[in-house]
Amino acid sequence: MSVRSSFAELAGRSSYWFLHHFFNGGSSLPGKLTLKLGPNILQAFSKRYDLVIVTGTNGKTLTTALSVRVLREKYDQVLTNPTGSNMEQGIVTTFITAPRPKKKGLAVLEVDEANVVKVTKYITPIAFVFTNIFRDQMDRYGEIYTTYAKILKGVKLAPHATIIANGDEQLFHSKDLPNPVIYYGFNHEYRPAFHAPANTDGLLCPKCQHILQYHMRTYAGLGDYFCPHCGFHRPELTYAVNKLGKMTPTQSSFEIDGHPFTIKIGGLYNIYNALAAYTLGRFLNVSPAQIKHAFEADEKVFGRQEVINVEDKAVTLILVKNPVGLNQVLDMIETDPKPFSFVFLLNAKYADGIDTSWIWDGNFEKLARSDIQQYMTGGERYKDITTRLTMAGIDNIWHEINLEKVLDKIKQLPSQHVYVLATYTAVLQFRKLLTENGYLKEGGKHNG
Amino acid sequence: MAKFHLKLAHLYGDLLNTYSDIGNIIALQYYGKIMDAEIESRVISIDNQFDPDAFDMALFGGGQDYEQLVVSRDLPNKKAALTKFINEGKPLLAICGGYQLLGKYYIGANGEKIPGLGILNHYTLSQDNNRFIGDIAIKNEETGEEYHGFENHNGRTFLGDGERPLGKVVTGHGNNGEDGTEGAIYKATYCSYFHGPILTRNGEIAKHLLLIALHNKYPDADLSRQEALKIAPTF
Repeated sequence: MSVRSSFAELAGRSSYWFLHHFFNGGSSLPGKLTLKLGPNILQAFSKRYDLVIVTGTNGKTLTTALSVRVLREKYDQVLTNPTGSNMEQGIVTTFITAPRPKKKGLAVLEVDEANVVKVTKYITPIAFVFTNIFRDQMDRYGEIYTTYAKILKGVKLAPHATIIANGDEQLFHSKDLPNPVIYYGFNHEYRPAFHAPANTDGLLCPKCQHILQYHMRTYAGLGDYFCPHCGFHRPELTYAVNKLGKMTPTQSSFEIDGHPFTIKIGGLYNIYNALAAYTLGRFLNVSPAQIKHAFEADEKVFGRQEVINVEDKAVTLILVKNPVGLNQVLDMIETDPKPFSFVFLLNAKYADGIDTSWIWDGNFEKLARSDIQQYMTGGERYKDITTRLTMAGIDNIWHEINLEKVLDKIKQLPSQHVYVLATYTAVLQFRKLLTENGYLKEGGKHNG
Repeated sequence: MAKFHLKLAHLYGDLLNTYSDIGNIIALQYYGKIMDAEIESRVISIDNQFDPDAFDMALFGGGQDYEQLVVSRDLPNKKAALTKFINEGKPLLAICGGYQLLGKYYIGANGEKIPGLGILNHYTLSQDNNRFIGDIAIKNEETGEEYHGFENHNGRTFLGDGERPLGKVVTGHGNNGEDGTEGAIYKATYCSYFHGPILTRNGEIAKHLLLIALHNKYPDADLSRQEALKIAPTF
């Protein structure tokens, strides 16, 4: 380590100590300071750690957390970054604030897509884990191809690192790379060829630009795809979910390569996260039995959907921000065996996305077919979401622009169990209201 | 069973799907149901023939640059069919990219001139590092109807011979931010930059399109009830 880097690390560590003790915080500032003093600081850590980078649009956080649990079954210490600190400064902070490992340690870091290159410039990872690539609400005009190109910029600097990729995502099979690649995916069913719904992103064959078809589709564009025109198809999977069992909003049972697992969280997308962690574990020689232990030993790793008691109602509040996420939530709540009411709060401030068109890609038609006791809409753009539900074939929708009135009406809903889906600022406003009314403690954490 | 049946071609629906254009089909089916008409939608994409006689209506949406480029390469295969469809006065709704591709040309992301179908006479220029983004309201001066939507486009479109605007801009930017026009109407082809999607907020336009399609297909039917339909505001 150069004198400059040592000094930079020391300055960063000291600033962290200072901020941590006197201001009870500071997760990016020490990194920022360290980078200013020694821009090559990350290089110094490449000797201390073997690095695994987890990246992709959705599922980074849980995949990383699960991977850490899995790897701790075998490795004494696994370093990771706290949720949200997935940009360069947060990553530097993670390294400089960690106790110095006695022998070479293992680090599993969640890295933002555009920041992969900023890390691989200094540290050559042993592996990358790719989750998926979707368009997000905030940058929905940024193309999925551009996002993948950003990731590859970082991968190019590490041509020997093993790529552990979601084989059901065609983008991860679209470019020829020198790296060894291990694919994971779903192999639980095989149907005659069919098309994905028209409003699915990324349906062009990367080799011949014709429309891909499927033998199995899990959600969005993920699945067992193939091109009827040129023969391009999903690569062979090394590890696969071969069976799906019982699914509820709080629990999922499935088999990977014949090994049964149950995780305390709902949603098909979370099985992908578990599968990615399983694959990384197997790559680093963790046994299926150890992985099962890791998944089942500590349920806290999955976070929890927050259930808030409002008088006699149990309200589950869920953040929704893009069509892919929204459809996953709709798929998940549909598996609830208990009767419930459905509330959607739609705002259109900058943090929500100022264009509300995306709600039309949500498959609310599916809800109309299930047995829901009462529907209600609210928020600044309640008219848009009311129209969406109406045109999905749902009638008798209660609506209130004002969230205080929404809260009052929630108490009058016919079911005890209530799902509230809300956009970002609506979640914040609704939580504030719940706090003011004493249903939620000040500073309560939301696990959306 | 509905009394009337209309077939809708969802042109390149699996490629031009960035602006939630699926909502326009949902709205047509919703109003169609009220007007006793069932709308059957089919995607006609790059690997499919477009038979103009097999459809009563069409939707042509907008997409990402890459997908739009792939579509522009396939368009010559469908030009004759689309020209016939449009000139026979069958209703077509074109949004954003679809709107641009019906015209003479547009300027792509890298500044290249991408030829359109040239069935309509407008052309589209680009602007440097700027997009027209935000809520928009326009007024159609023939019908007096006011339309609401959300615009988000880099292209600046200028209307040509035979086209009239969908409306005059009340608030927002419109076709090009200069001449106060938004969208285009040519025969029964309606073009716009509106998201929303447009028909979900402006049921009147859905009603116009459906009535044209019904009159075309069922010239002797009594459509007075459909003509009299009052559209409840959704925005």
